[in-house]
Amino acid sequence: MTTLIRPPDKTAPKQQRRRGVTERQRPLWLLTPGGVLMILIVLIPLALALWISLIDLDQYSLRRWIEAPFIGFANYTESFSSGLLHSIWISVSFAVLSTVATVPIGIAAALVTQNAYRGRGLVRAIFLIPYVLPSFVVSTVWRTMLQPDGIVNKVLGDGSTLWLSGPRAYWTLVLVEIWAAWPFIYLMALAGLQSVDHEVHEASAVDGATWWPKLYKVILPYLRGPVLLACLLATLNHINNFTLPFVLFGAPAPDNVNVMPMLVYVTSFQSLRFGLSAAMAVVSLILVAIPLFIYLRAVRLDVHDEGGRR
Amino acid sequence: MSASAEAQRLLPRPLLVVLTALLCAIVLVPVLYIVLASLNSDVGVASGEFWPSSFSLHSYSRIWTTADLSNGILNSLIVCGVTAVASALLGTTTAYVLVRYSFRGRLTILRGLVGLQSIPGTLMLLPVFVLFSSAGNYLGLTVVGTRWGLFVAYLTFALPFSTWVMVTYLRGLPRELEEAARTEGASTLVILRRIIFPLSLPAIVVSGIFAFLLGWNDVLFATVLTRPETHTAAVALSIFGSAQEGGALPVYSQMMAASLVCAAPVVILYLIFQRYLVGGLTAGGVK
Repeated sequence: MTTLIRPPDKTAPKQQRRRGVTERQRPLWLLTPGGVLMILIVLIPLALALWISLIDLDQYSLRRWIEAPFIGFANYTESFSSGLLHSIWISVSFAVLSTVATVPIGIAAALVTQNAYRGRGLVRAIFLIPYVLPSFVVSTVWRTMLQPDGIVNKVLGDGSTLWLSGPRAYWTLVLVEIWAAWPFIYLMALAGLQSVDHEVHEASAVDGATWWPKLYKVILPYLRGPVLLACLLATLNHINNFTLPFVLFGAPAPDNVNVMPMLVYVTSFQSLRFGLSAAMAVVSLILVAIPLFIYLRAVRLDVHDEGGRR
Repeated sequence: MSASAEAQRLLPRPLLVVLTALLCAIVLVPVLYIVLASLNSDVGVASGEFWPSSFSLHSYSRIWTTADLSNGILNSLIVCGVTAVASALLGTTTAYVLVRYSFRGRLTILRGLVGLQSIPGTLMLLPVFVLFSSAGNYLGLTVVGTRWGLFVAYLTFALPFSTWVMVTYLRGLPRELEEAARTEGASTLVILRRIIFPLSLPAIVVSGIFAFLLGWNDVLFATVLTRPETHTAAVALSIFGSAQEGGALPVYSQMMAASLVCAAPVVILYLIFQRYLVGGLTAGGVK
C-alpha cells in the first residue's frame, strides 16, 4: 500500500548515492554511543519486560530471575481476573474525560491571549503556571486542600465531604488533572492560531462577519489539526499519569481511581507479583499503542522529504 | 493600525475580560492559597484559615529538619543534572546523524524515538528494577538505592526525548556551513564541535532542561529505586505527608512551603528559558 503511494522514493536514494560526498562518508559510527546506550537501557529492558510477563516472578525468585519458571500466558489470564479490565475502564474514561474537558478551556485561553493588549505577557505566564509546576507538587497541594478538614470543605461550609476516598475520588482525580493539564491544549491551540494569516482576519472583517460566525467558521478550522494532535498526546499522558493518583490517594488507591499505572505499581511493588504486573504493563502498552499509532502517522518523521538538498 | 487590530480581534471585549479573569482566578486562587498557607503556621492551616492570622517564615525554616529535604534536593540536582548533560550531548550527536544521513532503519529509529516517550513508566520500571536487584546476585553490584542507578533509569526516558528534541531542531538548520567546512576538508568531528554544537546551543540547552525536568518531576522511579540517603526532592516532599500521620498535628504549612521550594528550580528554569521552552513544548509534545 505504501509503496503504491510513494514511487518517487525509489529513485531518490539512487540520486543521492551518485551525488554523494555525504553518502559515501556517512559517519554512522557516531550513532554508536547513543545507539548502544539505547539498546542497553531501553530495548533490552523492554524485551525483558515481555519475558517477565511470561514467567512466574515474585519476591523469592526476583534476585534469580533467570531461573524463574516459564508459565506462558498464565499471567495474562490471571491479570484479567485481578481487576485489569476495571482499571482499563477507569484509565480510559479518566483520560478521555480529562482531554475532552481541557479542549474548550485551552482554546478559550488561546483566544483571549491572541490579541495584544497591555499585560498580556503576564496573563500568558499565569496560564502556564499549572503546567510548569511539577506534577508531584500539584498533587501534594491539592491533596492538602481536599483533606476533610481542608480549605475546600471550609469554603464550601461542609466539613464532611470526602474528596480523596469514596465515590467522589474519581471526580477529584479528573478535576485535578484538568487543572494541571489544560495549558498543554492552550499552547498547541496558540501555535495553531498563530498560523492564521493576516488576510484571513481582513477578509472576514470586509465581509462584515461578527465574532461568533468568524470564530466558528473561519478561525476554529485552523485549530483542528494542532488541537487534535494535542488531544492525542494529552490522552497518552493522562493514561500514563502515575504521579497524580499516587500522590493524591496513595497506594493502594481506592478502587474507583485504580488506574492502570497504579494497578501495575501495587501489583509489583506491594503484592510483589512481578510476573503478573509485567503482563498488566504489557496490556497497558497495547492500550497506549492505539493513540500512539495514530500520532506516529500524523507527526512528520522523515526529514529528507522536505526542502534542502538531497 | 487600529482598524487592522480591530479586524484581528477574535472575541468581543466583555467576553474577553470575563474569560481572562475566570481563567486567571482558576489558576491563581490555589496558587495564592499555597503561598499564604506556607506563610501561616501549621495550626493555622489545619484550622482551615485561608488568610493567615499571623504571617511568618517559620515553616520555611522548619522544613529542613522535618524531613531531609536539603539532601533530597541535592540528590535531585546531581542525578538530574548529570542526566541532562549526558542526554543532551549524546542526543545531539545521534540526532545529527539521523537528520543528515540516510541509512536503513533510520525511519524506524525516528518512530522509536517518538514512541518511546509514550511508553508507560511502569512498564519500563519493572525490568529495570529486576535487572538492578539481580545485579547484586549475578554481578556483585549494588544498584538499587544508588544515585547512578537512578541516573541510568532516568536516561531510559531522557535520552530518547533529548534526541527527538534535537532532531526537530537540527532539521531546520541549513547545511551550507557544514558543506563549506567539508569542502575545506573538515572531518565530521570538527564539524560537530565547531559548527553544529555552537549553532544549536540553545536547542541543546533546551533538550538538557527537558531531560532535567523529566527527572525532577519523577515520582515513580524515585520511590522504588532510592533509599533514604538517595531520596530525591519528590520523595522527600512525600515524607511531609506521612509526618502528619504519626504526630497529632498535620504539618500542612510546612508541606506547602516545601512544595514551593521543590517547585522553585523548575519555575526559575522556565522564567529564564521561557521563550525556548515553550517552543520546545509544542515541538516535543511531552511535559
